[in-house]
Formats: sequence, structure tokens, C-alpha cells
Amino acid sequence: MAIAPLPTAAVRRSGFRRVEPTFYIFLVPTLILFTLAITLPAVMGIVLSFTNSVGFGTFRFVGLTNYQAAFSDPSILQAYGFTFLFAVITVVVVNLVAFLLAVSLTARIKARTALRTTFVVPMVISGIVIAYVFSYLFGTSVPALATALGVGPLEQSMLATPDLALVALVIVAAWQAIPSALLIYIAGLLSIPSEVYEAASLDGAGGWRQLRTITMPLVAGYIVINVILGFKGFLNVYDIIVGLTGGGPGTSTVSVAMSIFNGFSGGDYAYQMANATIFFIIAVVIALLQLRFTRGKATF
Amino acid sequence: MSPDQHPPARAASTFTRRGFLAGAGALGSGLALAACGAPTGSSPTTISFYLSKPEVIPYFHRLISTYHSEQDKVRVVLDSSSNVPADFVRNRPPDLGCWNYNFAVAEFVNHGALSDLRDTPQARSINPALWPLMRQTADYPGRISAIPYSVMAEGVIYNRDIFARHGVSVPTTWSELVGVCERLTAAGVTPFFNTYADTWTIAQGMFDYTIGGMVDVAAFFGGLKQEGTHVGPSSATSFSRDLAAPMARMVQLAQYSNKDAASRHYGDGNTAFAQGKAAMYLQGPWALGQIALTSPHLNLGMFPLPVTENPSDLKVRVNVDLALWIPEASPRKAAARDFMAWLMQPRINDTYNNDNDGFGSRIDAPAPTNPALAGLRKYYSGGDFYLGPSQLIPASIPVANYAQAIVLGSSPASQLALLDADWSRYAIRVA
Repeated sequence: MAIAPLPTAAVRRSGFRRVEPTFYIFLVPTLILFTLAITLPAVMGIVLSFTNSVGFGTFRFVGLTNYQAAFSDPSILQAYGFTFLFAVITVVVVNLVAFLLAVSLTARIKARTALRTTFVVPMVISGIVIAYVFSYLFGTSVPALATALGVGPLEQSMLATPDLALVALVIVAAWQAIPSALLIYIAGLLSIPSEVYEAASLDGAGGWRQLRTITMPLVAGYIVINVILGFKGFLNVYDIIVGLTGGGPGTSTVSVAMSIFNGFSGGDYAYQMANATIFFIIAVVIALLQLRFTRGKATF
Repeated sequence: MSPDQHPPARAASTFTRRGFLAGAGALGSGLALAACGAPTGSSPTTISFYLSKPEVIPYFHRLISTYHSEQDKVRVVLDSSSNVPADFVRNRPPDLGCWNYNFAVAEFVNHGALSDLRDTPQARSINPALWPLMRQTADYPGRISAIPYSVMAEGVIYNRDIFARHGVSVPTTWSELVGVCERLTAAGVTPFFNTYADTWTIAQGMFDYTIGGMVDVAAFFGGLKQEGTHVGPSSATSFSRDLAAPMARMVQLAQYSNKDAASRHYGDGNTAFAQGKAAMYLQGPWALGQIALTSPHLNLGMFPLPVTENPSDLKVRVNVDLALWIPEASPRKAAARDFMAWLMQPRINDTYNNDNDGFGSRIDAPAPTNPALAGLRKYYSGGDFYLGPSQLIPASIPVANYAQAIVLGSSPASQLALLDADWSRYAIRVA
């Protein structure tokens, strides 16, 4: 690995020129690609959110009109409400289940490796495939089972009632997201030295006490990472909703990402760009929070 | 584009995306983003051809091979998976579009993104009765932005054998229809097979049929446009006011549905109907081919859904299932026109329509010969048709989801009020 020369007072004055050019060579292609593929379109999108563009042809600047309209549009507000509710519930479910699974899968149980592999399988299946499989389960298998067992509320498809549709979506999203959270928790648990537990047992701490006062504090950093990354990911939920409910029943499960994307075909390009800009700002705030938290816990 | 066809002069404060892109491109100068090679003299011109109808992709692949074998100036690449609105946004639209003529194309038409086809012989060959329908969907004044290729007429598909077995005949009034449903239900037969999990099937079916059977669709949307941004409970025309009666009919019809409609998709519906699990199915002729995949020899017929007590109110829902258009931004318009002219020849166009149960768009086009469509023929030829109202509402208003909410038990009044509010907000945005 190339190392820059030791900084002396003389070198430091002309510091920039003395940096090994290899670093720049590594950086430049990515920087160009990132600028062209991410930054430039994003900036254009933000600029267009202040216009009345339909995506092509002529347009003129309309100031904050789109933003005002977005904040007073019940369908957009409903999409935000649904998306945040969905993200919060899913984050809690995913982390609770993943943490408990991780604790079990790091204990000295039989077939540990085989079980870990099994639990990670959902991670490699694409969201839309998962959605179609679950769509069949919720639409056909679950009602058939419920009818046979006499469970009244589930005899209709869960996806056809607004509250149960949310539950169904959380189940599917959690099923898909638990593996990655699980892997992070396993890594976290394995990083705790076994001496700590041995010392605790000698002092008479039981399993629950060890979990609460040793394991939890020592993996706190991992919990923060999982919660924030998960929350950010669930806010962007799109494919499983398209595959499972298409936003229905009615519009009760339309997510923010879906409403933004629909702007493409609906002639609402600039309007949904404004929506996307608002969503982007929210994502940036969450990312800053994440930076703050993870920096604070840098020594876990 | 010739000088007399220019859109109205741009105001000084308007910008074009192209100009915007040019500016952005200057930022990344030296980085060749795109190099659109101009076609050279001798080699064939390759055009991109976008098709919106998944059912006929193999059919068009065969047509394109035939076209290739008949000439060597133009090569056609069929695409049915690209996101066409996004391609317009990128200023790289298809050279020739063959699309369902609905709200999805409306934006391109209304903003003049499609080139004028007035001067083509194909435009002159079209049945004049279709132009008002085309204009109702979208219009750019003074232009013919698209040429209809195939018109679909939709109504109730029914299983003749089930009808005969239970001694019921095709209803022509609402009470007769209710009578048929009651009789079938009493005999243990499901009257309608519905597929609410695919919201479009509700929108094009029950929603559009009940409205089109009761309300003058063109007048209704004309009235909405007049109201502009003030559509609501107090306006002379509104969804709440004008569509309450049709929605009440829709709620009543939904009672005669299969019990698991909420979780059934379009594909499930085709299979179930083919297996004789219901007597009627609210779909267009595109479903006939899909039903035939399961039961090729089912004895099927079609009739317009009766919604009033007057048989002379009977109308069929139509939609311009495919229309051809050439974007302004296409650098290969001449080649695109060549393929369009080839597709519009009677030997190709009529065969296509007959093979795919479509009604022809040319003045001299024959009616399709499929006996299942016989019950709709006289309505189509008599001009007793309407455009699906759900196709005239901008795509950013989720009308199919609202229709789904109604058939799943929401109050029609609340969903119609949402439509009113969405319509007004949309009118403000595009004003």
C-alpha cells in the first residue's frame, strides 16, 4: 500500500501536491460515475421540482407551488403516514426477531451452521418474487387454512382489509429483512469476549441478567446500526407492496416511493419531483442522525 | 417538422428540457454521453418500435419478420419492456409507438411531443366516427397525433351453455339482469367472476360499464373540464353528483360475485371462467384468447351490460386498443412512417384485428368474425359506444384503487368525494 511521505513542516506547506497520485486515480472514475449517475440527475430533479414540467417539452418555473400543493394533498400525506407507520413497526419486528434469533444461533446449539444458512436464504431472493409467492399464500393458502380451522377473520384474504394488509406487508418485509439484521447481530455477539461471560457467571449472574447487563450494552452499537439502516430501507418500500397489494385495498398501502414513481406516468412529473425532494431531505436527516449515533458509539 | 406546424411560439420565460440537458451536458464536457449515429446512405435504418399489449408480442414479432422479408431499407426492433414515459423524459422516445390510446399517452399528445400525421394517407383512411374518441382522450390542436389501429369493444362475456342450462337469456334491462343473477344464484351458480386483486379489472369492468351505461361520458367529462378547479359537492358536474347512481348499481352487482374475488387476479379469473365457475365475466375480448388457453371450445357470447330500464340505452365500452404514433424527437421519422404504412395496409391491419378480436379503425375495415363478438357488433357499427371513464381520468388519480375500495365495502360517497378533490387539485397543478 502506498504511504504518503512523513509530513514535515516544509512538505506540509505544499501538502496537496505531495499526495500519492494513486489515490486520485482510484477516486476519479467513481467520482465521475457518481456525479453523472447520481448527483447530476438528483440536482436536475430538484431544479425541475420548482417547474411545471411533465418530464419533456417546455416548462416554466412556478416557485414553491408544487411544495405547497404536496403539503396539502391528502393522498401524499396519507402515503407518508402509511410509510412511516410501516417502517416503525417493521423495524421493531425485524430487530426483535433478529436479535433473539442471533442470541440462539450464537449459543452452543446443534446444527448451528445449518440453521444460520437456512435463516439467511430470504436475503438472496428478489423482493418481487417474495411478494408474488406471499401473494399466493395470503390470497389462497391462508384463507383455505382459516376456513378449514374456522378462524373467521382470516377467511378473506388479509390483503383485502386495510389493517390486515399492513400486517401482511410487515410480515413479508420482516421475513425478507431479518437475515441481514441477523448477520449483523451475530457478528456483534461474536465480538463479545467469552471472558466477560465467564466472569459474570462466577459472580453468579444468570442467563437473563447476562443478556440484560452484558450482551445488550455491548451490542448497543449494532442495534443502533440495524435500527437506522433498517428504518431508512423500509421508508423506501416499493417492490413488495407493488407485488402484494398494488397500494390497495383502496389507497391504504400506497408508499411514498410508489406515489413518486406514479408521477412518471401521470403527467405529475414536477409535482412528484417536489415530493421526492421532500423525501430526500428526510432521508438526509436520518443519515445525519445515523452518523451522529454511530460516531458516538465508535468504540463498541 | 415543417414551419407551419410549429407549436405556438414559446414565451421568453419557458425552458425546454433539451436546453436544460444541454446546459447540464456542458458541465460534464469531455464526457461523451451519447453519440446518436446518423444513418448512413446504404445500410438499413433501424427503428425502435414500442408495443403496449403483452398478449400480441409474439404476433408482432412475426409481423416484423414478414416486413423484414419484404424490404431491406428499414429494420425494426420491438421493445415492450422499456418505461416509455421515462424515455420521453430522457428525450429518447421510441421511433414508432403502438400503444393503448389512454391517459398514458395523453401527456405526450397534449404537450405536442408527438409529430403530426395529418399528411399521411393512413390518416385519411380512418373511420371519421373515431376522431371524436381520439380527441376526447387527448388533443393537440391542429394535429393528428396518433392513428388508431385497433378498437376493442367490451362488455359482459357470458357462458352460453350455463345460460341455456338454467333457462336464462341475455338481459337488456337492469331488472332483467338482476333477475338473471337471482336465478343463477338460486341454482347455485356464481353469476359474476370478479378479480379485485387486479384493480384495473374493476376499473375497466364494473366501474366503467355502470357509468357508461347510465351517464353520457363525453358530456360528463366536458362538464368536469368546465368546472376546472372547482369540482366538488356544490358544482354542477361532479363525481359525487353524477356517478352516485352508477356506483349504487356497482355495489349491487358486486353482491353477485364469487366469494374470493378480493384475492383473485386477472389470470385466476380467466382460468376460473374457462372452467365454468361463473356464468358472466366483465372483460374485454382480450380475455377470450386467454380463456381459450384453458378451454378452447367454450361456447361464449358477449353483450353490453344493461344498467337502466331502457334497452335503447345499451352501449358498449370501447377503447382504442392500439394507436400508432411517431414522436417529434425521433430522428428516424421517415423510416417509422414506412413501417406504419406497412402495418396499416388492409391485408395486415384487417388480419390483425380479426386474429385478435379487434374492430377495425379504417372506413373499409370488416367486422371481426369471432362469433363471441356477434352480440356487440350492432352497437359498434351503430355508434352506440363510449370511452371507458377510468381511461379519461389522469393516471395520477388512483381511480382503480378507489373503485376497489368501493367493491370491498367503502362507501361510494366517500370515494367519489376523493375523486372530486383529486380532480380539482390536479386541475390546479396543471393550470
